[in-house]
Amino acid sequence: MSIQLENIHKSYGTQRVVRNVSLHIETGELFVLLGASGSGKSTLLRLIAGLMMPDSGRILLNDRDVTHLSPQQRGTGFVFQNYSLFRHMTVAQNIEFGLSIRRVNRDERERRTAELLDLIGLAGYGERLPAQLSGGQQQRVALARALAYEPNVLLLDEPFGALDVKIRAQLRQSLYEIQRRLGVTTILVTHDQEEAFDIADRIGVIDQGQLLEVGTPASLYQHPKTMFTATFLGTTNLLNAQRNGTSVHIGDAHLPVPPDTDHLSGKSVQLLCRPEEITLFTAPDAANGYVIGRGHVESINFAGSMLRAVIRLQDATQSTVQASLLPADARTLALTVGQEVWVSIGSYHLLSAVEA
Amino acid sequence: MRETEARSPVAIALIIGVLGYAALLFIAPLLAMINGAFAKGLEPLLATFQDPSVIHAFQVTLLLSFAAVVINTLLGLTTAWVLVRHRFRGRNLFDTLVDIPFVFSPVIAGYAMIVLFGRNGWLAPPLFPIVFAFPGILLAKVFVSLPFIIREVQPVLEALTPEPEDAAYTIGASRWTTFRRVVLPEIWTALLYGIVLTFARAIGEFGAVTVISGNIEGYTETATSFVFRALNDRNNTGAYGVSVLLCLFSVVILIAMNALRGRIIHKEP
Repeated sequence: MSIQLENIHKSYGTQRVVRNVSLHIETGELFVLLGASGSGKSTLLRLIAGLMMPDSGRILLNDRDVTHLSPQQRGTGFVFQNYSLFRHMTVAQNIEFGLSIRRVNRDERERRTAELLDLIGLAGYGERLPAQLSGGQQQRVALARALAYEPNVLLLDEPFGALDVKIRAQLRQSLYEIQRRLGVTTILVTHDQEEAFDIADRIGVIDQGQLLEVGTPASLYQHPKTMFTATFLGTTNLLNAQRNGTSVHIGDAHLPVPPDTDHLSGKSVQLLCRPEEITLFTAPDAANGYVIGRGHVESINFAGSMLRAVIRLQDATQSTVQASLLPADARTLALTVGQEVWVSIGSYHLLSAVEA
Repeated sequence: MRETEARSPVAIALIIGVLGYAALLFIAPLLAMINGAFAKGLEPLLATFQDPSVIHAFQVTLLLSFAAVVINTLLGLTTAWVLVRHRFRGRNLFDTLVDIPFVFSPVIAGYAMIVLFGRNGWLAPPLFPIVFAFPGILLAKVFVSLPFIIREVQPVLEALTPEPEDAAYTIGASRWTTFRRVVLPEIWTALLYGIVLTFARAIGEFGAVTVISGNIEGYTETATSFVFRALNDRNNTGAYGVSVLLCLFSVVILIAMNALRGRIIHKEP
């Protein structure tokens, strides 16, 4: 079951919440809509479910135009951030709800409920009330309830948002496994880029109602097309540079031009380089990669498995760069604050400076 | 228990004052009534309950009160729903007007109905009479007990989050099924509480009913109107007897309310 959006617009009063969004999602895909709160991502999900009607544009589920159909006629499965279980019904009754509406007979309902309870790892919990479950368990039940009637598509609105970090990671993993097993086309809305990277086949980055970019996690991280994506996904260093026909000039350094950047030829650009692509050396001749200059270590911070160092470059720009280092590397360099180091970069990417 | 230290004289005075006031206002009249009912022994009391006009008065009261409950349940639920779920011009004014039966004197309400539905009224009924007949009594009972269900259900409905209903819609439930299986169980206790209050008010109503019914013995006379007529006729045993029976209804209703209130409190998260 594919999902297709064509030029969707939606406003609340004068506020434009979704602006001209077009998107095609393949059957069986796990698509993540990533954006900050208020970006319009949840609205987009509600539009697909039919809980809201677009001002203009078309929505197609499996090539069938459902733009004007009610949520009941669309048959999507929806999971809300706050679980939204029917709290006067038991877990089993919650899961069976969609089946009882479809007048599925009792034996079949019971068989299916047991199967789903098994799938979500809550076998034996059927007779409990939602209030007797933890948040993570309730959200599993909400997922089972949405899957019970075998929906065409599964829509998840910040499903892990209300859970603590550890439960969130577990649930994410089970959602991923369940989605792979059932092959149901899924859209998950989140503001958490780690969550998006972890499970997405493709990510759509949404900001102020506009779908800025769509791509695989790796392509969006390494070759973002917009400054928003570059800075929203992970930490990045942005350095002023010039691109001419054959090279990129940054300070006194000349770097080779990355592929697919011909349109930026002769322009001011922003050179984008992730902290993990930066290497520090004590002498310039020891460096590999592309040396962009010399600087002083301004600070070294502990960041779990990595160290994060900030280096101020000693060139005309006096700009700072962040580098992620393995503790072992930092020891080899005997890195201290104030120390002089050579900064080299491995992979990098260019963006037009105008947009910034 | 909050008080662990010795009670201050002020506290003692307050408690005695409140208890004395309760004794004077609710308990003494009740005792006086029971005493009056049994003053001449059990026989005249039993005779009262076998009096056809008493039996008829109770039938009229209970039947029409029940009908008023049915009507106000449907109208009250609908009104509460419209007030909570819909935004329209004049909504605030309408919300205020719902309380009119609480502030209007029932006698005036009954009189207004006569003016409206009487023979030469604006809405004079073409087929069957309303004034001095059952429809009039029903109308009076519906009017005076109208706000209870609305005011009980409204806040509960307001506190419901929209997501469970949205979830039901995406799952495929129609609006009616969603109301019946998702919303109604949430508001059920408040609704029952409203129903009990409505019933109590409908049974006890006197002013509006008296005005619009004309108190025709054996026809439009209700239990409360009977008490009034018996007092005028110096039929004290009859007045006391019917009053005691009406009080008994009230006690049962009080117990039901107390039980329901317990359920409401326990359900709060």
